[in-house]
Amino acid sequence: MSLFVQSLILGILLGGLYALLASGLTLYFGVMRVVQIAHSAFLILAAYLAWFFATRTGLDALLSLVITVPLFFVVGVGLQRLLITRLKPATLTMMSVLLTFAIALIIEGMLGFVFTGVQRRIHFSYGSASVPLFGAEVPVVKLVAFALAVLALGALWLILKKTGFGQALRATIQNKEAAQLVGINTDRVASYGFGLGLATAAVGGTALAMDATIYPSLHWHWIGPLMAIIVVGGLGSVPGAAIAAMVLGISQSLLQIPLGTTWAQTVFYVALFVTLMVRPQGFFGGRLAQRF
Amino acid sequence: MTVTLEVANLSKSFGGVHAVVDASVSFQPGKVNAIIGPNGSGKTTFFNCVTGMIRADAGTVTLAGHDVTRASPDRIARLGLGRSFQVCRIFPRMTVLENLLVAVKNPSLTGALGSAKNPTAIAAARVWLRRVGIDHLEHAEARNLSYGQQKLLELAGVLMGDPEIIMLDEPAGGVNPALIGRISALIRELNAEGRTFVVVEHNMELVMSLSDHVVVFDRGRPIAEGDPAHVQADPRVLEAYLGV
Amino acid sequence: MRNASETLELERALTGARWLTAARVIALLALAAVLVVFPQTTKVGYLLSTGVVILNYAVTATGWNFMGGFTGYISLGHAAYFGLGAYGTGILVVKAGISPFLALALAALIVAVIAVPIGIAALRVRGASFVIVTIAFVLILLLMFQSMGSITGGSGGLSLPRPFPDLIRTDHHRTFYYIYLGLLAVMLLAWWAIDRSRFGMGLKAVREDEDKARSLGVPTTGAKLVAFILSAFFTGLGGGLYALWFGDLDPVFQFSIMMGAYMVLMALLGGVRSLFGPLLGALVVGMAIEFFKAQYGDTQFHLVATGLLLAVVVLFMPEGVIPAVKGLFARFGPQASSIREISAADLAAERDAEEASKP
Repeated sequence: MSLFVQSLILGILLGGLYALLASGLTLYFGVMRVVQIAHSAFLILAAYLAWFFATRTGLDALLSLVITVPLFFVVGVGLQRLLITRLKPATLTMMSVLLTFAIALIIEGMLGFVFTGVQRRIHFSYGSASVPLFGAEVPVVKLVAFALAVLALGALWLILKKTGFGQALRATIQNKEAAQLVGINTDRVASYGFGLGLATAAVGGTALAMDATIYPSLHWHWIGPLMAIIVVGGLGSVPGAAIAAMVLGISQSLLQIPLGTTWAQTVFYVALFVTLMVRPQGFFGGRLAQRF
Repeated sequence: MTVTLEVANLSKSFGGVHAVVDASVSFQPGKVNAIIGPNGSGKTTFFNCVTGMIRADAGTVTLAGHDVTRASPDRIARLGLGRSFQVCRIFPRMTVLENLLVAVKNPSLTGALGSAKNPTAIAAARVWLRRVGIDHLEHAEARNLSYGQQKLLELAGVLMGDPEIIMLDEPAGGVNPALIGRISALIRELNAEGRTFVVVEHNMELVMSLSDHVVVFDRGRPIAEGDPAHVQADPRVLEAYLGV
Repeated sequence: MRNASETLELERALTGARWLTAARVIALLALAAVLVVFPQTTKVGYLLSTGVVILNYAVTATGWNFMGGFTGYISLGHAAYFGLGAYGTGILVVKAGISPFLALALAALIVAVIAVPIGIAALRVRGASFVIVTIAFVLILLLMFQSMGSITGGSGGLSLPRPFPDLIRTDHHRTFYYIYLGLLAVMLLAWWAIDRSRFGMGLKAVREDEDKARSLGVPTTGAKLVAFILSAFFTGLGGGLYALWFGDLDPVFQFSIMMGAYMVLMALLGGVRSLFGPLLGALVVGMAIEFFKAQYGDTQFHLVATGLLLAVVVLFMPEGVIPAVKGLFARFGPQASSIREISAADLAAERDAEEASKP
C-alpha cells in the first residue's frame, strides 16, 4: 500500500513537471502552428546551464533561473522572428518540425562539444533529504521541482488570463484572422508567445536537473512523452495538455510497479496510438489537431 | 436526370455555435438551385457537410439513393457530386493539364497503374479546357495563372470528374464582370446538358438571373424556398436580409 | 488552328525539351557507369565498405521518398522500418535458422504488414501530428528492442553469420555493393512507374492540397496507406540487407532518430519531387558523413553539422538542389520562354481587364 501511495505521489510530482513542459509546446503550436521539437533540447540546455552555474558559483542552482528565464525568452522571440517566419506559410507546420529538429541536433551536439558526454548531476545541500508524506518518503528535491513547476504554471495561467497580452495571445490561438481584425498585432503576439514557451523550458529544465542525471542526448527521452501528451490533450489546448500530462504522469509512475521503468514509459505511446484511432483531435482539446 | 440530392434534418455546431440547425432541403434535379442568405447564416457549413468535408452532428444526406451522411468526400465525389471552393483551390505546382488529370476516375487497378498522361485522358481534359477557355495555358504551372484563370481551371477540374451534380461555392466571388458573364453562360450551357447545379452566391443579380430554384438560409436553417421571383417577394427573406 | 509563330515556338520548345532530355540521359548513363564500375577499380576494403554504406543511404532515402516525396507527409521516424527489417532478418536467421535471403524477403514482408496498422493510425492525422507519431514509433521500438533481451539480444546486440562464409572481406563488400545497387535500381524503377501513373498523380495531388484532391474523388486514405506501406517495405529491405552485410545489430543504431533524420536530409537536399533527388542527396551527404567520420572520428560534431545543413536546406532550398539546377537550366535554356511568355502576356492582359473593370 505504501508503495502505491509513494508511486502516486511521485506520479503527481512528475505529472506537474510534464504539465509545465507540455504547456510550452502547446503555446508554440497555438500561436504559430509550430511543433517545437527542440523544446526538450532547450530543456536540457537549461539543465546544463543550471549545473554550470551551480558548479562555478557554488550558489543554489535555482538562482540560475534569474538568468536563464529572460535569456530563453529573448532567444525564443529571436527564434520566431529570425527563423520561423522565414518559412513559407503553406508548408510551415512540416518545415518547422524539421527546422526545430535541426536546432535540437545543434544544441545536443554543442552540449556534447562544450560539456562532453559525461553524465552530470547538480548537488544540493538538501539533495539527500526527504520528508514523510502520507506514509511515503518523498525526496525534497522532487518537491521543490514540483513547486517550481506549479509556480511557473500558475504564472503562465495569470499571464494568459489576467493580462492584456494574455488576452491577445488567447485570441490569436483561437482565431488569428479575427484577432487581426480587432487590431491585435498577431506577429508580435506570436513571437512573445514563442518566448514565453521557451521560458517555460528554462524553468522546466532547472526543475528537471534537480533530480536527474543529465547528458546531452537526454532530450530524446523527453520529446516522445511530451509530444504524446500534447496530441492526447489536443494540440493547441493548454488545459488539455496539463490534464493529459497529469493523467499520463501518474499512469507512468503507477505502472512502474508491475512493469518496471522501461515498459511503463510505453504508456505514452499506447495513449498516443489509442488517441489517434479513437479521437484524433485529442481528448481535451479543440478541433485543430487533425488539420495540422 | 435521375441523380438526386436530398438533405434531411441536418445539424452542425462548433463548440456552442449552432452553424446549421435542422436543415432539410431537397434540390431540384436538372435545375440550377441557389442557396442565399446573409453572412454567417450557415451556407458554407451546410455546403461542407453535404460534400463530406465536415461531418454533420445529425441528419441525413442522400445522394443518388445512397446515404452519404458519413461518407468521405472522395466517395461522394465518385458518386457524382463535384464541388468548388469559396476561395478557389487548385494544385498550384501542377500544370493546368495535370490539374485536370487528377480528377480522372480510377475504375480498376490496371487503370491506377496506367499512365496518368494517356491519350484518352488528355483528350478529355483538352475538351474541358477548351470549353472554359484556358486551353492555351495547358502547360503553364497553375500557380502562374491569374485568379480568374484559376477559377476557370477549378471549374474545369470539377467537370473532368463528369459530375451529375455540381456544387459551386461563390462562383462569382472575386472575379471581374466579364468573367462572371462567362461563368454564368457556362453554367447555363452545362445545365442545358442535364447537369444539376447548386450554387452558393452573394451576387443577387446573378442568382436571380441564373437560378430556377432558390433556398434562403438564415441562422442555420432554410427559411424560404421557391422560384426567384417568389423568394424575392417573401417578407421573411427581407427580414433576414434587412434585419427589420 | 495554330498560326506560324506559334508553330515555330512549339518547335523551338520541342528542340529544347529534346536537348534537355538528351543531357539528362547522358548524365544518368554516366552516373550509372560510375556506380557500376567503381567496385572494380579498387581492392581497398575501406573504400568498398564506404561504397556499400553510401548505397545503403541511397536505398533508405529513396525508400523514404515513396512516402515523403509523393504525398508530402514527412516521416522523421523511418529508421523504425529500417530497424525492423534489420532485426527481422537477424532474428529469422539466428533464432529460426532460415536461410539469409529468404529471411530478408520474409522480414520485409513482415515490415509491410506491421506498417498497415501504424499507417492507419498515423494517417488519420496530418502535418505535425503525423511527424510526432513517426518519431514516437521509433522511440517505442528502441525501448522494446532494448528490453526484450531474450529475442533481440537487448543492448548487447545481435550478431548474424555471414551469408557467404567463403568470400574474403573485399569480395563480401563487392558482392553486397552490387546487391544494393540492384535493389536501388528496382526501387528507382518502381518510383518512376508510380510517378507517371494515375495512382502517382493522386498521391501528388495529396501533396499539393489534400482536401481538394478528395473533393475531386481521389481515394486519398487508401492511396496514402499504399504509399506508406511501400515506403516501409523498401526501407525494411534496406535494413535487412544491412543486417546481412554488417552482421552486427544494436538497437541504439538501428532505431536511431539520426538515421531517420539523414533520410529526410538526403531526400530534401536532392529534391523530393525528383526521381534521382534522394540518390543525389545520399551521395553528397553520405560522402560528407563518411569523410567526417574518417577525419575526425565519431565526435558530437556530426550532430552540429547535420543540424546546420538541415536548417540551411529547410530555410533556403526546401525544394532541393535538382529543382534549383533545373531552374538555372530553364533560365538559360532555349525552351524556357515559350510557356512563360504566353502566361505572362495573358496575365498582364487579364490584369488590365480587371483594372479597367474597377469602378
